[in-house]
Amino acid sequence: MEFHDDYPSYETMYNHDEAYGKKARRTLWNVFWIMLAITVFELIIGFMAPSKGWSGTLGLKVLFIGLTIVKAAAIVWWFMHLGHEVKFFKYVILLPYAIFMLYTIFIILTEGTYSGGSGRFAPTDPIFINQQKELAKKHHGGGGHATEEAHGAEKEHSGH
Amino acid sequence: MAHTAEIDTKEAWSGGQSPFRVSYGKMFMWFFLVSDALTFGGLLISYGFIRHKYAEVWPKAENVFTHFPFVEQHLPLAYVGLMTFILIMSSVTMVLAVEAGKRMDKRGVIVWMFWTIVGGAAFVGSQAWEWFHFIVGTEEGALRNVWDMAQGKYVQQTWHGANMVVNEYGVPQFANYFFFITGFHGTHVFSGVVINFIIFLNVIKGIYHKRGHYEMVEKVGLYWHFVDLVWVFVFTFFYLL
Repeated sequence: MEFHDDYPSYETMYNHDEAYGKKARRTLWNVFWIMLAITVFELIIGFMAPSKGWSGTLGLKVLFIGLTIVKAAAIVWWFMHLGHEVKFFKYVILLPYAIFMLYTIFIILTEGTYSGGSGRFAPTDPIFINQQKELAKKHHGGGGHATEEAHGAEKEHSGH
Repeated sequence: MAHTAEIDTKEAWSGGQSPFRVSYGKMFMWFFLVSDALTFGGLLISYGFIRHKYAEVWPKAENVFTHFPFVEQHLPLAYVGLMTFILIMSSVTMVLAVEAGKRMDKRGVIVWMFWTIVGGAAFVGSQAWEWFHFIVGTEEGALRNVWDMAQGKYVQQTWHGANMVVNEYGVPQFANYFFFITGFHGTHVFSGVVINFIIFLNVIKGIYHKRGHYEMVEKVGLYWHFVDLVWVFVFTFFYLL
């Protein structure tokens, strides 16, 4: 350390002792296990969704986006230690971002209506609509089992 | 913690102090990350907009990302689940490296940073594999109207895989956004691995130990966690919803 001025050096003030480190490590691992549990839960729900008819429902969207924000908050708060910074610094980082994002979402929800759904300006190629209809039919009812059967039939068909 | 010790608010803002209680380098890493997060936020919002516009013809992730290495079966979501696990895991090893640095434990920093770099490289490799399968496509393919240069008109044919103009999964915008957003994220992961590696070499050389603090590890750690943070959102919007 070559500096001998009046300014506090925040870099070295960050250093902590073994006892504190032990506590910090335990917190970090707990955060990790919670995040992993959330991800596994999301994957299970995502796996079940097509057969249960949950795909594309509002409840599922809200659940997934909510869990994502929980995970994001955990990363920012504990992994990036924003939770340990002074209050003012937290606001300086989070507020401008939140304001800009909410504003962008707001403006795209209100001003974005000009697109008027697919087919208003350039009609969607019916080929795409048919494809999604076919896929939906294949996955409709019976769940994963039916999907596998459909795949089997497809392979047979392509074999001819 | 020591650095959050209370000081008089008036005194803090009257100069000669650092009211934010963070060093210059770390503060500007945060500012950079905010600006980068705005870019990603803008991209994801525009993705949501286009996806809503083509809601009825937008392909479902479980019909597109069904492959898993060395397995013939269709396993939707399994592979991306593994990728997510790798990235979260590498985020944990990074934060443990930062924690070891705060105890001036050089060996700990080296070990945890090593695993972080391994995890990051594994993630980039996984993404390359995913892109490969996305571009090559399935054997069945799908009917598409493709522009034929020689005939000067659209010709219906079975199309396999994806490019920026036509893909077998659905509307072209689907592949465009997939390439752009996961590509932009992948670029961040790749640069993160490179930066981590440079800092890793410096740690081995003992530069930060001599300096008396491992704040540089914390700064690259911030960037690395940000990459993980973005992936959490990409994972939700591209694969789950």
